[in-house]
Amino acid sequence: MNNILENYSKNYSEQIKKRRFWNIFIVLGLFVAILISSSIIDLNMTRITSGIPRLGDYIAKILPNLDTNLLFANSQIEGSVPYWYFNFKKYIVLLYETFNMAVLSTLFGFVFALLLSFFSARNITPNVLSFFFVKRFLEFLRGVPEIIFAILFVWALGVGPLAGIIAMTIHTTGALGKLFSEVHENAELKSCEAIRSAGGGWVPEMRYGVLPQVLPNIISYALLRFEINIRASTVIGFVGAGGIGQELYLVINFNYYEEVSAIILLIILTVITIDITSGALRQRIIKGTHD
Amino acid sequence: MGSLQLNSLIKQFGKNTDGRIAVNGISLEVTQGEMVGIIGKSGAGKSTLLRMINRLVEPTSGSISFDGTDVTSLKGKALKKWRSECAMIFQQFHLIDRLDVLTNVLTGTLGRRYNILNLLKIFPKEEKINALKALHKLDLLGKALQRVETLSGGEQQRVAIARALMQKPKILLADEPISSLDPKNSKIVMDDIKKINNEEGITVICNLHSLEVAKQYSKRLIGLSEGKIVFDGPPENLTQELSQELYDLENE
Amino acid sequence: MTNKDIISLCPQAFLPFWRRSPVTFILVILSIIYLGFAIHFFGFSLSKILEGFANMKPILVAMFTWQDFSTWNFPGIFDGLVQTLAMAFLGTFFATLVCIPISFLTSKKVFRFTLLRFFIKRILDMIRGVDILIWAIIYVRAFGLGPLAGLLSIFTADVGTLGKLFSEATDNADTKQIEGIESSGSNKISVIRFGVVPQIIPIFISQSLYFFESNTRSAVILGVVGAGGIGLQLTERMKAQYWDQALFIIVLILIMVTIIDTLSRAIRKRIIDE
Repeated sequence: MNNILENYSKNYSEQIKKRRFWNIFIVLGLFVAILISSSIIDLNMTRITSGIPRLGDYIAKILPNLDTNLLFANSQIEGSVPYWYFNFKKYIVLLYETFNMAVLSTLFGFVFALLLSFFSARNITPNVLSFFFVKRFLEFLRGVPEIIFAILFVWALGVGPLAGIIAMTIHTTGALGKLFSEVHENAELKSCEAIRSAGGGWVPEMRYGVLPQVLPNIISYALLRFEINIRASTVIGFVGAGGIGQELYLVINFNYYEEVSAIILLIILTVITIDITSGALRQRIIKGTHD
Repeated sequence: MGSLQLNSLIKQFGKNTDGRIAVNGISLEVTQGEMVGIIGKSGAGKSTLLRMINRLVEPTSGSISFDGTDVTSLKGKALKKWRSECAMIFQQFHLIDRLDVLTNVLTGTLGRRYNILNLLKIFPKEEKINALKALHKLDLLGKALQRVETLSGGEQQRVAIARALMQKPKILLADEPISSLDPKNSKIVMDDIKKINNEEGITVICNLHSLEVAKQYSKRLIGLSEGKIVFDGPPENLTQELSQELYDLENE
Repeated sequence: MTNKDIISLCPQAFLPFWRRSPVTFILVILSIIYLGFAIHFFGFSLSKILEGFANMKPILVAMFTWQDFSTWNFPGIFDGLVQTLAMAFLGTFFATLVCIPISFLTSKKVFRFTLLRFFIKRILDMIRGVDILIWAIIYVRAFGLGPLAGLLSIFTADVGTLGKLFSEATDNADTKQIEGIESSGSNKISVIRFGVVPQIIPIFISQSLYFFESNTRSAVILGVVGAGGIGLQLTERMKAQYWDQALFIIVLILIMVTIIDTLSRAIRKRIIDE
């Protein structure tokens, strides 16, 4: 009895030792990685301490000077909200453009991704070769960030939202294509077998056997992607690919300080509003499938 | 006329040496209008046999022929045509849960039309009428526009039978059609299958786990054990020992 | 039974699509109209797109004809890659450090001051509403061009997202264990240390690793606005129309991202399995 206990406690202390060794190893590794990374970036206290006041200055400059007594005066009077947002109409048009960029790129990307995903799902692909190539193709589309595609298309198509929409469509196709094929891979293929046994080909199998069961999931993913694309479309204009980002880039570079905060605030409100709406919609779709 | 012939059919899963032989040299003939019950333990090769007839599973060797046509060598359109002529129903119904009953029944006709119409879910009026007639025959007309997932198991299997009827089949292959059903629904489904066999002259080949049901519904039983035919004849000829060998070995 | 009888028994099956589900039909029509309108709004035309793709041709050709390969600035490219990794690593690490206390402050189970929790959550919402590139451009203004601005923007964006995820994980911690420690009369600190921390640490680590992975991707684009890393090298070459070098860098980025993904996925799997 005593022996067993002794053995047990010996075992236990050995395990503790082993665990301690690994913990020390990981902490040391992290420490070394931090040191190396900091030296690569040339991170030091003086740069941080000298940067922080400048950041404070900059933020103070871009925030509006609002005078509580004049808040709702007209746009000619400094300190009023209308003065801060004297360009409001222009912003609204640009926000609408941004919104539409996200809508179109999500929609087109959704269609392309859906078509390709039937080839890149292992369990339903019509042949191994198309599986391999479509999968690699989607990986490439997803791997290259949309803003890099945007730079490319701005060269080819000129400055404007068209370049942004194409760039985001490409990236969306890759990202959604991967997710959709994962959804397909989890699909139940019983009804596909029945359709095949009745003489139906691959297309009816996909249309009737797979699509009805995956539809709620893929729509929910598409909405999630729409939320991501709304964010992306607010910045893709930095490289001249349209939307409110183009204006934001301009006012930052020209130091139209108060306009910077005006635009960023609008972006935040738009993004949050769409997140909430789309999130609620997704909840409903997912719930609807459990009814 | 309309006879189905299987000649030394073999199906082996996996590689040569360690592969499992599911069906091991089956030869038999079924004439048009027969109702054949295939009996045996699970794993005896019943399901593989039916799937091979429909060509869902490719035989390793041997051949299947129908009315003199070699079924095993069919490809493309001809294969689809053959599949639609020998309709299949499954143990777990294999319906599309999220679509309505009518559309499910209409999926029996998908192989006959252009895919562009299939993609848009457009079905001709005559097909819809035929589908509703099939549902009427099975006493399900009232549920035509409900989602399949709202139906009971017995009703779902009868929807599957209606779908099979839409294929205007010469043969109906039923793979354990009542294994997921309670006794009451089992009776309804088996009666419907029998009715189709009697009234439309469709050959029925039906895998059954239960010997009682098989005896009751078919005049010819085929007993399978380890992929081989161990009995072929009317139920009266089935001896006590043989039925024990077919079913009770599991208990040992 | 005649065809007419059948039709009269189930007439709905023969209604055209727009009569069977009018709401869906109206929604579809409205979306098509909106789509047409949006396309019109942008002044798209197929010819314009085709023209654009025709313009792509010389760029693609230039991408695949590699010129003066030996003169390319390989040390610069290597520095860019390393910088990108360092930015992503430090940004994620510091954000994780900051988000641990935030998660306690914003979790219902640990902290009772509703008002403070509300404010922190709204601030996190605001941070998440701003894309990482906007942070980058602001930090470049304050700290100058280079990877420091990149690091800070990754840090800021991560605090927004990780803060939310961490506090959700803390909220999901098992209440029984917390109550067990509380019932032994311990103070708040030991409740957190022994009741909450052991449960959430694996989740935090695996989420941080996942963010390191996705931050490597984000860090690539920060160079577009001058915040250092390989993106800077890439955009410089794209601006100068060195398309062959640009493609080379894109391929390197893809390789790097794949390696990081694979490594991090393997580590995450081990942590979750344990």
